[in-house]
Amino acid sequence: MKHFVPLLLLILSVSTLKGQSCVYTIEGRVLDLHDNTPIFGAIIKIEGSDLFGQTDEQGYFKINQVCFGQAKLVVSHISCDPIDRTVTIRSDVKLNFELEHHINELSEIIISDDGLNQVNSSVNESQLNADQLTRLSNQNLAETLNSIAGVSSLKTGSSIAKPMIHGLFGSRVAIIANGMRMQDQEWGADHAPNVDLNGFESVQVVKGAAALKYAGDTAGGMILLSPERINLKDSLYGSTVLNGVDNGKGGSINTRLTRSFDNGYFISGHLNTKQFGDRQAPEYNLTNSGLKETSLGFRLGRTKILKGWEVNYRRFQNSTGILRSAHIGNIEDFLRALESNSPLRIEPFDYVINSPKQEAIHQNFKATYFNQYSDRSKLKLDYNYQISNRKEFDVRRGNRSAKAAIDLTLKTYDFLGSIQWKKDFEWNFEWGVNALLQDNFSNPETGVKRLIPDHQKYQAGTFLTGNYRPSNNFSWEWGFRFDQVIIDAQKFYDTSNWISREYNIRYAEFEQKDFGTQILTNPRLNFSNISAQTGFAVGIGESVETTFSYMLTQRAPNVSELFSDGLHHSLASIEYGFIGLQKETSHKLILGINTQNKFLSIGIDPYLNRVSNFIFIQPSGVELTIRGAFPVWEYQATDVLMWGWDANAKINLSENLKYNINAAYTYAQDILDAKPLIFVPPFSLFQQLSYTFPKSEIEIEMAHRFTATQSRFPDTNFRVNRIESGVIVQQEVDISTPPNGYHNFDLYFLLPLAKSNFKSTLRLIVQNLTNASYNDYLNRLRFYATEIGRAVQLQLVFNY
Amino acid sequence: MKNKFTLMLFASIALTNLFISCDKDEDPELIEEQELITTVVLNITSDSAANQTVRWNMDTNQTPTISLQANQQYQVSVSFLDESDPADTEDITEEVKEEADEHQVFYEFSGVSISYTSGQGDVSDSANNPLYLNSIWTASSAGTGTARVYLIHEPTTKTSTSRGGFGGETDVEVDFTVVVSE
Repeated sequence: MKHFVPLLLLILSVSTLKGQSCVYTIEGRVLDLHDNTPIFGAIIKIEGSDLFGQTDEQGYFKINQVCFGQAKLVVSHISCDPIDRTVTIRSDVKLNFELEHHINELSEIIISDDGLNQVNSSVNESQLNADQLTRLSNQNLAETLNSIAGVSSLKTGSSIAKPMIHGLFGSRVAIIANGMRMQDQEWGADHAPNVDLNGFESVQVVKGAAALKYAGDTAGGMILLSPERINLKDSLYGSTVLNGVDNGKGGSINTRLTRSFDNGYFISGHLNTKQFGDRQAPEYNLTNSGLKETSLGFRLGRTKILKGWEVNYRRFQNSTGILRSAHIGNIEDFLRALESNSPLRIEPFDYVINSPKQEAIHQNFKATYFNQYSDRSKLKLDYNYQISNRKEFDVRRGNRSAKAAIDLTLKTYDFLGSIQWKKDFEWNFEWGVNALLQDNFSNPETGVKRLIPDHQKYQAGTFLTGNYRPSNNFSWEWGFRFDQVIIDAQKFYDTSNWISREYNIRYAEFEQKDFGTQILTNPRLNFSNISAQTGFAVGIGESVETTFSYMLTQRAPNVSELFSDGLHHSLASIEYGFIGLQKETSHKLILGINTQNKFLSIGIDPYLNRVSNFIFIQPSGVELTIRGAFPVWEYQATDVLMWGWDANAKINLSENLKYNINAAYTYAQDILDAKPLIFVPPFSLFQQLSYTFPKSEIEIEMAHRFTATQSRFPDTNFRVNRIESGVIVQQEVDISTPPNGYHNFDLYFLLPLAKSNFKSTLRLIVQNLTNASYNDYLNRLRFYATEIGRAVQLQLVFNY
Repeated sequence: MKNKFTLMLFASIALTNLFISCDKDEDPELIEEQELITTVVLNITSDSAANQTVRWNMDTNQTPTISLQANQQYQVSVSFLDESDPADTEDITEEVKEEADEHQVFYEFSGVSISYTSGQGDVSDSANNPLYLNSIWTASSAGTGTARVYLIHEPTTKTSTSRGGFGGETDVEVDFTVVVSE
């Protein structure tokens, strides 16, 4: 809280500063709504001033010396009535106008700013653009998002990372790739999303369930990945990025190419391959931490302003080594690993990825069709088929290491259809339906008890959203969504477990067939979820914008929470799902205060999230096995209160010197048990200082990240009886205490190469500049080794 | 016209896929755990006393008792079994012998003073380190305590005097009560 008050004061003081100078530019393009041809000779005038611009033969215009504040733009052309639109000028603006100039009676224009359409104007969102993505093209999704306040990653070792928003992850964070939700077994904490950012052009992060169109169960938030926007002209363009990194002696090659035609047809493809050997921590080699990844994709379609279609295919394949030392047999092995300062197995550098490892193949086929039947309504249909295979290999006896211990195939058929319509310019509505069918198959060939049972999931949902935007300074958004979820599983329970938990009494109707030591059951579970959202965005004065949003989300427990059943090899624990879980309900309030002028922009977003029936896993007892006593972790539900804030500030110290800082804090408490929640990101701060040399355009940037020590954590320690010199000694295994906070520095150099037809750049990136040795609380393998040390990366980008 | 065609195509792809997927699979197959060890059996023989066979079994989950006499030599042979299917008991000890380099049996005692050496018919790995599948135990004094049996997978060393020294992953760790009489 102590950070909050000064920030607020700063915001207020900034808001009283008025940008007096008339230094802004409005530029953009005017195109024909139908065939996207440039309109020549259109006049764009700022009413009440003598400023105006005229489009050239390519449809481009530019207006200089625009003053701070509101500006009413009037667009006119010889064959249409003039049209006006009011915008607030706080910085340079890019606007595209699409003019209906064939038909005189229609005077519709569409305005889109140069960036992406905002998902929901009452929730602040963060974006990464193509340039930022290129810079991070070597990293995975979660790592890429780490520079955004309020986003962190839950890691398993050095290359598996899951994005976390406001302390929530997994099923509570949806990844929407090209307009459809990724369905790739997002439930497991130790499994990264099967997606390669190189196939996309921009990433948006919205905190909370702001886009009910895609999902209504994401209390954490949504990550929207958008593919490249196609140029509607005859062109062939693409880029190639080469990365080489010393740490892990690896790198990546990624290339994409797009051919577009002026009649709207386009075809584009991308290919990315990445390989790393063992990574190095400052003090030792991280044995078996290599990675191999290949992804490819293509898009084919025809896009015009009024209608279009697209087919899209993406394939992602990877093989990820898991630190060899993290594979242990029992809790005494775990305690030994904990007591040791370095991993218990360190071998020389190698590219080979041995067990334990994960292998994933994710394929995604999507077809889209849209048609704007009239100037007021638009139909959009999306069909998506995803097939995701995940294999996990353990160190096994009898040459079985080559055989997967987990082999899951998840097929998803997903349909999303929606109709958008608008009434006047102020009211917009969208109504749609979403149907999903999912089938998971657990391959019995593994010879290991199924972690996730075979199951089918059926989901049908409908949503209605709308917004009212009477002026540039006010908007109101609202939405409802209803989902019916049916989970139909076929699960083997150990007969002893089935009876000891009294499932044989409570769930007798699910019993199917008795196999003696195991019993086959067919649980059919039904959940009805309601989600709603409403919010406002209000501009105060000319430079302050406030947003307020309330979201209700309901989430059905996922299959892993209900039915998980297995041994966790790196945490020495047995994990059980709980069949009796009910849906989770979250109420989330997000506020946003933003102020912006030419020199400074500041934003702070406090939030409050009250979740009833919050599903989480926690220790529930001890089970004696042939390998000794194991702690049992079981999925349970409790009530949770979370609050926190994300803040950011950007200061343009001069034309060339820029400073950016953001910070985030999350508080999460289990109300029923009056104890903190596990795996909550500690306070973190990220700052960047960048300088661009005026002539050469060389850029230097220094980034610093501070992650504090998490002081709020639950006690999940357990005890072990160890024999020491002939005496049994009871010892506590401290699995709970978070590691100390740390500082991490990165350095970036950008050198534009010879200006020819290719816009090529060379980058030098040094991560963990000081080669600091540290552990991160959100890394589930933090007990075994430190994070990776200094990594020097050379990146060559060719655009053509 | 063209619109309708695209729409129809779209709908038919979607529908076909839905129908294909609607075939409900048959009952899932029962998985026989392949690497499971459910039982540890110690066979204890000596010239002077009757043979003892003690079993640690996952289901009964009780700590069995071994009775020894001080200063007597006992031949102890250990076997690891998978008895999850009563009709088809598997002897995992064979697998351990085949992969002698990747395995190690280790005994640890508390409360009693027992020493052990490699016994007759024991198996050695390629570096001639005994696995102690067959061992000779000698108790030096009377008392009651615990014998802990380990089967270690991929130990980092094959010669050590403590569990920690061996490294590797614990595949088996079970306790037996030992009563040593005078």
